[in-house]
Amino acid sequence: MTDVAVSERTPSRAGVRLRSPRRGGAKAWLYLAPTLLILGVFVYYPIWRSLWLSLHRVAPFGSAKIFVGLDQYRDLLWGVRSAEFWDNVQVSLWFMVGTVPVGIALAVGIALLLSYPIKRLSWAHRMLIFVPVVISSAVAGVIWKWLYNPVVGHFNTWLEFVGVDGPNWLTSRTWALVSVTVAVVWRQLGFNVIIALAGLQQIDDMYFEAAKVDGATVWQRIRHVTLPMLSPTLFFLVVINVIISLQAFGEIDILTQGGPGQATENLVYSVFVDGFVGTRFQGLASAQAFLLAIMIIVVSFAQFRGFRKRVHYQ
Amino acid sequence: MTAVEATRATTVEAPREAPVARQPADLPVHIILFALGLVISLPIIIAIFTSFTPLSRLLADSNNIWSPPWGLQGYVRAWTATPFGRYMVNSFVQTGVITIAQVLLSILAAYAFAMFSFRGRNLMFGVVLGSLMVPFELTFIPNFVLISDLGWANTYQGLTIPFLASAFGVFLLRQFFMSLPKDLHDAAKIDGASDWYYLWRVVVPLSKGAIAALTIFSFLGAWNQYLWPLVITNEESMRTAQIGLRFFLANQERATDWSAITAGATIVMLPTLLVFLVAQKQLVKGIAMSGLKG
Repeated sequence: MTDVAVSERTPSRAGVRLRSPRRGGAKAWLYLAPTLLILGVFVYYPIWRSLWLSLHRVAPFGSAKIFVGLDQYRDLLWGVRSAEFWDNVQVSLWFMVGTVPVGIALAVGIALLLSYPIKRLSWAHRMLIFVPVVISSAVAGVIWKWLYNPVVGHFNTWLEFVGVDGPNWLTSRTWALVSVTVAVVWRQLGFNVIIALAGLQQIDDMYFEAAKVDGATVWQRIRHVTLPMLSPTLFFLVVINVIISLQAFGEIDILTQGGPGQATENLVYSVFVDGFVGTRFQGLASAQAFLLAIMIIVVSFAQFRGFRKRVHYQ
Repeated sequence: MTAVEATRATTVEAPREAPVARQPADLPVHIILFALGLVISLPIIIAIFTSFTPLSRLLADSNNIWSPPWGLQGYVRAWTATPFGRYMVNSFVQTGVITIAQVLLSILAAYAFAMFSFRGRNLMFGVVLGSLMVPFELTFIPNFVLISDLGWANTYQGLTIPFLASAFGVFLLRQFFMSLPKDLHDAAKIDGASDWYYLWRVVVPLSKGAIAALTIFSFLGAWNQYLWPLVITNEESMRTAQIGLRFFLANQERATDWSAITAGATIVMLPTLLVFLVAQKQLVKGIAMSGLKG
């Protein structure tokens, strides 16, 4: 990437050169300053500050912060908070397992349908299929809370119509996590379809033509041409969706607030509860945030390693 | 691949080999796609219909939303029960400031990366891109502490300042700026144009598409923010629309006034739906580009 940047500049230097090649040093920094300042203060400095907070505890009856070393990490990993912490981790992971494969499979299926060579993909089609992409987590949460309403909600009304007594989706230990998962998959769908469709349209038609000439069936073409050619896009979708699923918050806050019990309390929600609800344990919350960040990084790297051999580039 | 090529290749539209005559198989596919679209957008459609259905009819049978009489009572109750007007103003201010700042600062930074050569350029570009990998969960507690210490909790500064820069925006625009022909720059220099003049009179007008995509992205991202406005505001008068909706739901739930609640949700999503209606193409293109860069 950066190499390309350098090489692309070379022609202009070789061309009309009115100033020295090292031109604009100070000026460039002026253009950059606002962005670097904001990112430095609100993205990079907080990493360090977060680490600092996670090593301190607020003294009872006061605001003095006491250095406690790695105590809070110990509490979380195998100490007094470990049962709850690992429950939160489990919810996060179940959430990932529940959203990522389903969300991507749906998106690719829909994108395949959308890429069928019809004369014109109408504006209305795209409108209806992509629309969740602009919906916020709060609005999605509210809409699905209505659909899940046990008494008058649409799901249970429809189920009643076919003679099934629908459960209380959001307060049932069995169904709460599934219900939240469905809402999140839905909101993420528009984005995923757009990415998958863009990936499909990158594939050169000649591969399909060749497969057609060889007498491949539609399914064979999808299985042996489309999906391998789509693998860079699929890889991107998996990475992004895993990160998004581990960071789910809005829908959980609106739909279940982590309940029933802590059945839908993922690690992010636990950070929020410890840091901002009732007594504020910002040190403990920061320690969890750090562990969450490590989890995200580890999972992402694992994917890069695991996929490297399997992704085909055109 | 340059940004221009990417834009051309990823326009999510009809495939290249559009047959002159419609194939016989077109109609079923159209119908399937339309049905699929209806299923996907059904939750939104239901919410909008619910918001227009009088509460008594709604509680009798939720299927009543599909038939008149409809009315605006839900909206009246939502608007009077809670200061939705104020929430919307807050959201427009917050979103407006963030969007304008992100676009302007991204243009400046992207220009520096694309047009100047200076010591540390690659390192700084890495720093900007690296910030995309820092999860928000890691930064929001320290940012909360910092903003609170500055006395900016419950202020527009607190809502906006942490988000004035956009690493994604810098990346997107840099790619685009670099794809502009170099001759242009040389010609402008021969004519004696300053860098500043060249940026605003040549580069920006030529990059309208990319800037539009970024504007829409920033707008949607800011309008739909949840966790940060939730923690940094605790006064009702400073809540954004999303957070106002959250507390409205919490207060109204026992009253089960779902007409008013869905009316609130409809009000909150209306600006984003309008943006989608008007700028679907740019939005889709922008998302598609972000995917291909990944």
